[in-house]
Amino acid sequence: MDVILEQYFDLSLMAEHFDDVLAGFWITIKLSVVAGVLALFWGLVLALLRQLPGKPLMPVRFLTIAYIDVFRGIPLLMIILLVSGSLPFLPIPESIAIPRWFGQPDTFWYGVIALTITYGAYMAEVYRSGIEGVPGGQMEAARSLGMNHRQAMRNVIVPQAVRRVIPPLLNDYIALMKDTTLVSVIALNEAALVGRDVQSSLFNSSALTLGAIMFLVVTLPLARFVDRQIAREHRRFSRGAPRVETG
Amino acid sequence: MDESGHGGPLLRLKGVHKRFGDLEVLRGIDLDVKGGEVICVIGASGSGKSTLLRCINLLEPPDEGDIYLEGRSICKGADARSGEAGWELDYVRQRVGIVFQQFNLFPHRTALQNVTMAPQRVLGRGREEARSRAVELLERVGLGDKFDQYPERLSGGQQQRVAIARALAMDPHVMLFDEVTSALDPELVKEVLDVIRELADEGMTMVIVTHEMNFARDLADQIVFLEEGVILEQGPPAAVLDNPREERTKRFLGLVLEH
Repeated sequence: MDVILEQYFDLSLMAEHFDDVLAGFWITIKLSVVAGVLALFWGLVLALLRQLPGKPLMPVRFLTIAYIDVFRGIPLLMIILLVSGSLPFLPIPESIAIPRWFGQPDTFWYGVIALTITYGAYMAEVYRSGIEGVPGGQMEAARSLGMNHRQAMRNVIVPQAVRRVIPPLLNDYIALMKDTTLVSVIALNEAALVGRDVQSSLFNSSALTLGAIMFLVVTLPLARFVDRQIAREHRRFSRGAPRVETG
Repeated sequence: MDESGHGGPLLRLKGVHKRFGDLEVLRGIDLDVKGGEVICVIGASGSGKSTLLRCINLLEPPDEGDIYLEGRSICKGADARSGEAGWELDYVRQRVGIVFQQFNLFPHRTALQNVTMAPQRVLGRGREEARSRAVELLERVGLGDKFDQYPERLSGGQQQRVAIARALAMDPHVMLFDEVTSALDPELVKEVLDVIRELADEGMTMVIVTHEMNFARDLADQIVFLEEGVILEQGPPAAVLDNPREERTKRFLGLVLEH
């Protein structure tokens, strides 16, 4: 028992490395927010492309479905390695070949790219279930009023679809946040890498435990928030048909 | 056919067929609707009544036949006919309004916003103009105090009246009603029928699919009895409802008028 406390919960060690772990976790947060927001948008774009109607747009639909299948089927770790390993050698203009935007190192941006293109695919499927879950009568009403497909999607379908899938999107966001630790393999100094460096030099995991606790500080409230949202939706739907008032 | 269509029927269906896979739901419909006329379509479930309405506003474009609105054919041509692409969607949907059995109000918008959305987005009306017209229409259907309510707070009858106002906001020339009271609790049916009655009195051209026989008898200029995808009998209410010629019409009415 004492060994467990010493290995994982050495408080003096945690105090000593607190600033470093926090700095690493701060990078985690930045990475999660940037990649998360981009993935949320990219996922929506993919979902909309996927259901564009009409025969002439079949290639677009096909390519989108292929993209989604491919990037949900390849492990994120491989994507990170693929993006960071060879991107510098591709014939891209010098100015963007090695991204060092906004003061963040290139490893940060490789992480953003990998996370966005992967989680965008997952989120696209979530958006799709939201869109398909909107009752068919909504689209019929919108079209009957003269709206074209784009107007109907933008004003009627997508607002309802997004509202419906906030819980699963948030779940995906939490998953993305945890997956930022994978970017440690390309030497980005986020929370997991900082903790691991301490672990390998001091043979003690307490810095990692500290990093894990920092994660929980963010993910636990998010998870509870998601649960509350789900409960709220259930209450609304279990009310059933519109409430009948007098008059 | 001349563009203005005056002198001809407002709405004309000729030889309309509609298939869903192997099932042929409409098997050759010919129907003329004159300006200001109220046509009530009756028939058993599965006879094709809803499909007929949905063909008129092109939610289900016909597979064969043609539809003329104000004298103009809304089919782009026999060879252009793949799904929606072969039809003049904008032309039709800005002139034909429809009210559904399930209301289909936009739940994420207030009553007022439901009514202003299409005029603003489709017809390009300004915010103030759309708003004042919406207020006028909502007051007309008796919902002057409910502008800012969301549909989930309205009763079925109220929602349906909003749906009617929403369709009217586009200034349609023809209104289609698809069993609009069938999903309502009985005590809420009258308020909706009253609104429809008023519209008819004001001269709106309407095609109404309904089970409310007394309402149909009062309001309709023509009753159309649809059976298995064809018009079996058609005529003024006194003829079709009280003196039906066909056996199957008699049987259907016997079943319906019983209660």
